[in-house]
Amino acid sequence: MENLYCTIFIVDISQNPDESETVSSRIQQLVEDHGGIIKKINRWGKKRLAYSVQKKSHGFYVEIEFSASSRLNIPKILEAEYRINDRVLRHLTYIVDKKELVQREKNAGKFKKDQEAEKPESSEESKEPKLAVTPPSPEEKEVPESPVEEVEKTEDTEVLPEPEEVTEEETKKSEKKETVSDNESEPVMESEPAEEQESVQPKESENESGSDEEDSEKRES
Amino acid sequence: MRQMRERRNTMLQRKKRVCRFCEGGDVFIDFRDEKRLVRFLTELGKIVPRRTSGNCNQHQRQLAKALKRARHLALIPFVSDIPR
Repeated sequence: MENLYCTIFIVDISQNPDESETVSSRIQQLVEDHGGIIKKINRWGKKRLAYSVQKKSHGFYVEIEFSASSRLNIPKILEAEYRINDRVLRHLTYIVDKKELVQREKNAGKFKKDQEAEKPESSEESKEPKLAVTPPSPEEKEVPESPVEEVEKTEDTEVLPEPEEVTEEETKKSEKKETVSDNESEPVMESEPAEEQESVQPKESENESGSDEEDSEKRES
Repeated sequence: MRQMRERRNTMLQRKKRVCRFCEGGDVFIDFRDEKRLVRFLTELGKIVPRRTSGNCNQHQRQLAKALKRARHLALIPFVSDIPR
C-alpha cells in the first residue's frame, strides 16, 4: 500500500552550522535509495527548544515529506539512521492522514481567499503607508536623545531627596486613613456584593467560571 | 413527567458550549502551530480536560495527539515551572 510519510528531525548546529545540510541530504539519499519519492522539503530553520535536549537550547528543524509503499519499511531504516547519528536531537516519522491533507487544502483555500481579499486593499494601502512611514523616522531618531535629558532631570531631583521622603510618608498616612474610613462604612460594602451576585447568576448558565466565582464568594462570606 | 422535561430543558440550556474546532470547521489539528495548542495547556503544561475546554470528543483526542507530538519535538514544554 502506498503511503505518504512525513519525517521531522531536529539537528544540533551549535558546533557546525552546515550540519543540517549534511544530515538532511543523508536522509534524502536513504529515502531515495530504498525506493521512496521525496515530495517536499521544508526547513523551519533555527528555533528555540521549549526544553533543553541533550543540554542544547536551540536546534535546526527540517521536515521531509515522501511517499513510499509500506512494504519498503522506510520508517524503520530512518529510525536506525537517526539513532546512530549523534547530531539528531529529536525525530518524528508518521503517516500523513487523509484528514490532514483535507485540512491543508482547506487552509490553502483560505489563504488564497485572504490573499485575494488583501491584494486590492494592500496595493492601495502600500502607497499610503510609505508616505506615512517616512515622516515618523526623523521623530524616532530624536527619541533616543530625550531620555538623556530625562535622566539629567532625575539626577537633579536626587540631590534633594529629603522633602520627597516626607511627602511619601504623608501620602502613606493619608492612604491609611482612607482605608480605615472604608472599613468603617460597612453598610456600603454589604450592598455591593448583593448587586454582584445578581449579575453573576445569568452568566452561570453559559460558563462554569461563573459558578466558580459564586463558590469563591460563598467561601468568603 | 413534566418535571422531568423541565429538568432536561434546564440541563440542555446550561450546556451550550460548542467545540472551538467544530466552530472553525477544522478536520485536523496540526501540531506545528504551537501558538494555537498552548491555549489548551494549563499553566504547568498539563492538557486541559474536555469539561473545561468544551471540546468535542473527536477533537479532544486529536488535540491530545497533536500536543504529545509537539511535546516530543520540543515545541511545547512537558512541564513549565514558571507560570506565565
